[in-house]
Amino acid sequence: MLGWEFPPHISGGLGTACEGLSQALARAGAQVMFVVPKLLGGERSDSVTVVDADGNDASRVDGEFFEAFGVGGWMRDGDVSPVISDAARRSVPRGYRQVISVPAALKPYINPQDFLAQLARGKLKVGTLGSSTSVEKIPFFEDDSNGQPTHYGLDLFAEVQRYAVKISELFAAERFDVIHCHDWMTFPAAAALSRATGRPWIAHVHSLEHDRSGAGANEEIQRIERWGLHCADAIIAVSHFTADLIQSEYGVTSDKIFIVHNGVYVRSAHSSSAPIRSHRNRVILFLGRVTFQKGPDYFVEAAGKVAAILPDVTFVMAGTGDMLERCRSRVAELKLTDRFRFPGFVRGQDVEDVFSSADLYVMPSVSEPFGISALEAISHDIPVLISKQSGVSEVLRHALKVDFWDVERMADLMINALEFPELRADMIKMAQAEVKRLRWDSSAERCFDVYRLVT
Amino acid sequence: MPSVCFYFQVHQPWRLRESSSFQLARDHWYFDDEKNRAVMRKVADKCYLPMTKLLHQIIDATDGRFKCAFSITGTALDQMYLYAPEVIEEFKSIVKTGCVEILGETYYHSLAALYDPGEFAEQVRMHSRRMKHEFGVTPTVFRNTELIFSDEIAALVTALGFKGVLAEGWDPLLGWRSPNFVYRPVGQDIALLLKNYRLSDDIAFRFSNRGWNEYPLTAEKFASWVHKVSGNGDVVNLFMDYETFGEHQWADSGIFEFMKALPEQILSHKDWNFQTPSQVIARYEKRDEVSFPVPYSWADTERDISAWRGNRMQDSSLEQIYTLSAFAHEKGGEALETWRKLLTSDHFYYMCTKWFSDGDVHAYFSPYDSPYDAFVAYMNCIRDFQGK
Repeated sequence: MLGWEFPPHISGGLGTACEGLSQALARAGAQVMFVVPKLLGGERSDSVTVVDADGNDASRVDGEFFEAFGVGGWMRDGDVSPVISDAARRSVPRGYRQVISVPAALKPYINPQDFLAQLARGKLKVGTLGSSTSVEKIPFFEDDSNGQPTHYGLDLFAEVQRYAVKISELFAAERFDVIHCHDWMTFPAAAALSRATGRPWIAHVHSLEHDRSGAGANEEIQRIERWGLHCADAIIAVSHFTADLIQSEYGVTSDKIFIVHNGVYVRSAHSSSAPIRSHRNRVILFLGRVTFQKGPDYFVEAAGKVAAILPDVTFVMAGTGDMLERCRSRVAELKLTDRFRFPGFVRGQDVEDVFSSADLYVMPSVSEPFGISALEAISHDIPVLISKQSGVSEVLRHALKVDFWDVERMADLMINALEFPELRADMIKMAQAEVKRLRWDSSAERCFDVYRLVT
Repeated sequence: MPSVCFYFQVHQPWRLRESSSFQLARDHWYFDDEKNRAVMRKVADKCYLPMTKLLHQIIDATDGRFKCAFSITGTALDQMYLYAPEVIEEFKSIVKTGCVEILGETYYHSLAALYDPGEFAEQVRMHSRRMKHEFGVTPTVFRNTELIFSDEIAALVTALGFKGVLAEGWDPLLGWRSPNFVYRPVGQDIALLLKNYRLSDDIAFRFSNRGWNEYPLTAEKFASWVHKVSGNGDVVNLFMDYETFGEHQWADSGIFEFMKALPEQILSHKDWNFQTPSQVIARYEKRDEVSFPVPYSWADTERDISAWRGNRMQDSSLEQIYTLSAFAHEKGGEALETWRKLLTSDHFYYMCTKWFSDGDVHAYFSPYDSPYDAFVAYMNCIRDFQGK
């Protein structure tokens, strides 16, 4: 599986989904070799670890275990030969996964401009192509419209290309049944590995460029998405919403698209009946990337209408993104500065805190393939208001729902949710029961069905 | 000489618009005229008109040996006037045959019996006056909203002068007793007619169910089940929503053909006849007392009132609307009428979450996408109403 890093190193739902799904696959008996790009920091990084069912690094927790399975090895910058013994690969027990980090300057959701900016600031470091494989042999990059191999400079696409080369070299000799990759940056790598090994590859779509950027979509990314989705042996979409978009945007036929909704981990320590928070200092939470896709501007507009009616509400916009400044200035324009808090990107315990202070979680996404954070909010006892333009609304019935553009309705639902604790109480009680049924194990089962179809 | 007693419920609520509080602040209009018109037109064309004509034909064809009863709410009648006046003409015409009894209930199909005895009595009297005005008859037998009934409600109904009342024939309450006799509510000297829910639901719910082992249900088969009661009962009470015919069970299920053939099949056994509720009461002696210590209804597998009072949204909105009684009466006129339209039980039914939990979407019969939307629409109206 070509995936993305686990929590807490995440910047959105992609890492969470990879973690949940690969864990459930391992639990169901799959031998999962989980490959992630690891940002280079100059330090030596573990190439292979074994993680247990809870995502803990079993090799560190239990040295003997680590030794017993003979897993280990180190990898330097640009080094392309992790040391993994055949015995180790075969002997990873049920419920455990191998996690293999491959150095690459790739992270979820990064766009070409940010890539260059972070490169310039030294926040990203790219490696070199130290190998025998030439770009000419990598699908997609092998020829452009003129029939010539595509060579990129020091940009995001070059890194995606480099990652594809590395993956195909590293794993061409491995034995596996199927290649399962997640979102466009891994499509060329999966296709290259598929060509090298003859194994089928599955493109799992968590979001499309259309979702992330709307009208400002990057054409080169769309070119890779279109090519990848047409050439993949099967496509897994996280929702009907996304499946429809794959068909309408890229003209892929529906017969190779399969819907696998995400799951959620229900936190073990939540109370069964939701605490009703006090009427004073009520908090409405936005948590996510502050980008076009997430609709933060609609949140601000609705907040303006709510603030005019309810004087005691605080709005929290947690997250960062290219629309943050615009949102801040609009908040100032609406004279809501003292009603808004912008804590920036939150992680770990801060996520817990921000959830525990909220009375309502709002996800006003313009185009949301799934929206796993809505399920996380529910597992924190927070009722949710989600946009109808989201995949999660397909599986979540115990939520308030609104068209993202209907700011007046959004504001009205916020007001009702705050004013009526009985609404919040009934909703969260039913939603928690509902969320318990959205298990990663069922998502994994659906994946097995797709594997059986392509192998 | 045992009898079959048919009673059909005719009801439509004034459905609310899904207006935001901002919208209501601008126009103060609560009701979804377009949807209410569309539903009434659809149900009139699919059910009320064809079924009433069919029953009229059956009465003629059997020389008046077929008989049945209707309960028609004030809210349904008011909407028929606006959107389907020809339905009222059909009802008037069938009542004139003398083979149809009109039952009493609350004008607004409300839960007032559980909240406000004064309002309950007022709505029942309003309904009786309207029936007299419309059909020239004054109801003498009562059925409460959704067949909700309890010992307390029995006392209210007796005090209003009715000689009989309808309720669900629910086994846990009846014990060894059969629903096929006339009873007396505990402590009251009126008649109690109990719904034979098995036979009623064979028509109302199971008729078109292909997974049912008795499918397809023929009039001959159904009549043979009824005839089995011979010697073990005085009356088989078949109580159901009128919308069963053509709306819940579609025309192509054969429900109209079934009903057309049924009277003849029932009457083919020389002992059996059709009677209306007051005729049943006059004809058969009350066998025993039955107690309904808590309210029961004809709804769901539980037969309790949790479809209307099963969660916090329902409890809270019911409490708030009934608290506004004095305010509404003080305002009077249109405000009082609006308040009463907000008392209709359907508004609270739409907020029910219990069957929204098991993925059983088809059981959820509502104009809203979710119970939460129903609650929000309702509370927005209440708050606007309070501000008037």
